Amino acid sequence: MAISSSSNLAKEEQKLAFKLLLPAFLILIIIALYPLGQVFYTSFTNREFASSTKTEFVGLDNYQALLSFTVKELDPIIDQETGEQAVDEETGEKQFQRPIRVLPRDPHLYRPAFEFSFFGNKYVVGARTPDFIRSVWNTLVFTFFSVFFETLLGLIVALVVNSEFKGRGAMRAVMLVPWAVITVVSARMWEWMFEPTRAGLFNMLGDRFGLIDGSYSFLSSANLQLPAIIAVDVWKTTPFMALLILAGLQLIPNELYEAAEVDGASKFRQFFNITLPLLKPSLAVALIFRTLDALRVFDVFQVMLSQKRYSMASFNYFQLISARKMGMASAIGVIIFIIIFAFAILYMKSLGVDTE
Amino acid sequence: MRKNLLLVLALVFIIAFSGVVMAQEEDEITLTIAAGAVGQEKATAEEAAAMYMERNPGVNVEILDTPDLANDRYGLYLQFLEAESSKVDIYQIDVIWPGELAEHFLDLYDYGAKEVVDKHFQAIVQNNTVDGKLIALPWFTDAGLLYYRTDLLEKYDREVPKTWDELEETARYIMEEERAAGNEDFYGYVWQGNAYEGLTCDALEWIYSNGGGKIVSDDKKITINNDKAIEIIDQAAGWVGGISPAGVTGMGEEDARSMWEAGNALFMRNWPYAYALGNEEGKPTAGNFDVSPLPAGDSGSSAGTLGGWNLAVSKYSEHPEEAAKLAMFMAGEEVQKLRAVEATLNPTIKSLYEDEDVLEAAPFFGSLYDVFTNAVARPSTATAPKYNQVSEQFFQAVHSVLTGESDARSAIEYLELDLMDTTGFETGEPTQP
Repeated sequence: MAISSSSNLAKEEQKLAFKLLLPAFLILIIIALYPLGQVFYTSFTNREFASSTKTEFVGLDNYQALLSFTVKELDPIIDQETGEQAVDEETGEKQFQRPIRVLPRDPHLYRPAFEFSFFGNKYVVGARTPDFIRSVWNTLVFTFFSVFFETLLGLIVALVVNSEFKGRGAMRAVMLVPWAVITVVSARMWEWMFEPTRAGLFNMLGDRFGLIDGSYSFLSSANLQLPAIIAVDVWKTTPFMALLILAGLQLIPNELYEAAEVDGASKFRQFFNITLPLLKPSLAVALIFRTLDALRVFDVFQVMLSQKRYSMASFNYFQLISARKMGMASAIGVIIFIIIFAFAILYMKSLGVDTE
Repeated sequence: MRKNLLLVLALVFIIAFSGVVMAQEEDEITLTIAAGAVGQEKATAEEAAAMYMERNPGVNVEILDTPDLANDRYGLYLQFLEAESSKVDIYQIDVIWPGELAEHFLDLYDYGAKEVVDKHFQAIVQNNTVDGKLIALPWFTDAGLLYYRTDLLEKYDREVPKTWDELEETARYIMEEERAAGNEDFYGYVWQGNAYEGLTCDALEWIYSNGGGKIVSDDKKITINNDKAIEIIDQAAGWVGGISPAGVTGMGEEDARSMWEAGNALFMRNWPYAYALGNEEGKPTAGNFDVSPLPAGDSGSSAGTLGGWNLAVSKYSEHPEEAAKLAMFMAGEEVQKLRAVEATLNPTIKSLYEDEDVLEAAPFFGSLYDVFTNAVARPSTATAPKYNQVSEQFFQAVHSVLTGESDARSAIEYLELDLMDTTGFETGEPTQP
């Protein structure tokens, strides 16, 4: 009797729990699952954005257009007179055929994404949408460097504001200012500082100290674009990283340090044997946060580089609103989703984050 | 049970109340115009809106600020149109968009535009007519112009350049002299080199004036892959980091204008709107500059790209009648004159080019009348509805040459293949001016 009543109670509770969860679940379906499903579906069509053109089902065409690539060897150009490979007179580099001669054109046009050398032979990687391949690469480079520097600087900042000093409270508040500025606003601000003439802060400073000639175009020369963007992101997001790490630091009991002190462990040793291991869980959370965030970076790229260089998300945006290819844009969205998902899993596995 | 009752009561209240609010709003309607904010565009549009509101009590006109770069504006409009939003009643659309956006706009012939169209330039009216429907009223027209500093040309005893080579030579000479004289930030020539629609306009001017055709000809042939086009793009790439700042590959209209108005450039390629602004008191350029047609290349004749903006009424507007009436007012003689005088925005109404007040404010409207009527159009009609993609492929190709990522020949060869892919057209010989 007693047993059955308690199981009845459990059943009642389960029912109640289900009822209580239902609204949240419904909302989740409406705001997350439905749009996601819609994107998956659209990615298999050739739907045009803001147009009444008839939408057709095209299967995997969009994915093929985005992901197909081919590797071709570039034949050396043979000098007719000497019978040896021709050499560029100016640079002294060996000359190879241009990719346009070897990449396939039918039924689809492949454009060169990048070239590489291997055992003296030169190869070209051709893709149907090289801009997308490049945007993935840009995003990965951006993610790696920005997260690396943010973690490093964030850790330093957190250690500093965690120590006892006068005005610590004020320091902690001030530290958060860059994080509080809206990204689009801070991106515009940095855009002015990056001005390609001496009206820009960096060119002015560089010129004042005789480092550069004052006409560096940070945002339009290919070598400087990514470092510039990474700098902006590091400036903006380091405080966030510091905040998360600071929270982790405050969880470490002081007694441990006192005990270590008594045992004669150096500060250095304390850091590596106490601070770092105990900080690992919060560091892991912070890393996951930032990596996933950096992988879907959009605003800095859109404001500062617009169509000059893409991140995955900004390429997606321009495919949608400039080329109006909604089907293609959805396919990109799905690919971004899968990439981010893969990263999330990778992190959880490798850092041993407890998912329970 | 009582709780439920309370809930129902609350709901009834909300619905009833919102009904009241809506009923109140019906007395005064609000019309929103999505308009440009480049230079004085917004200020003069607001002035015109105030005039309209004064004469039409019960109508509230709002001007929605839109992005400066045409591509960004296009993106914003598409979002409104995809959502079939009634938030915007009138859109200011670029001369290249009618073919692509026609399905979202009302036929203004149904709202009495028949009587006024004859006053406007016929070429633009034609451009805005899709399948016999007038989907937008011409608001102002544009053509690329060469701005030059009269004081500096006089100081160094140089002529206004007639060819690109002359421009390059003069710019280099005066730039070096000015720099030696102490202005280290001085450059010879500023223009629009960012990867966006503006670069399409600039590059089309170089290529067409050099005898390299119009990218895609009117009879739907892809003509871009020719020696003349490659030659002039190469020449322009040589300007970057020389007579033009290296950062020109990131400049739009407003960036070029701010550098010019600071007195740091000898020549500038820009639209007419920069004329009134450059003459504002206190600016180094005030009274020290004039405009001429852009230089010519090998073809021997100059080319200015046709620009300009039009007013279209959204199909999704809640007040189509009133919106059409407002659009007619905004594109009418009175407002066009106001904007011509205050902001040097070229009227599209022929008679205004003989108006004394207009000619006093902008003498070049009279002297360069031919430039405006003979401006070279971008291939938007031939490639509709794919123009935007064509233009993007074009400016990306040119941009890659300007930044040195690619050589002109490879970039143009690929562009040709890309355009064939996008449009399905054959290749052909370039049209000559």
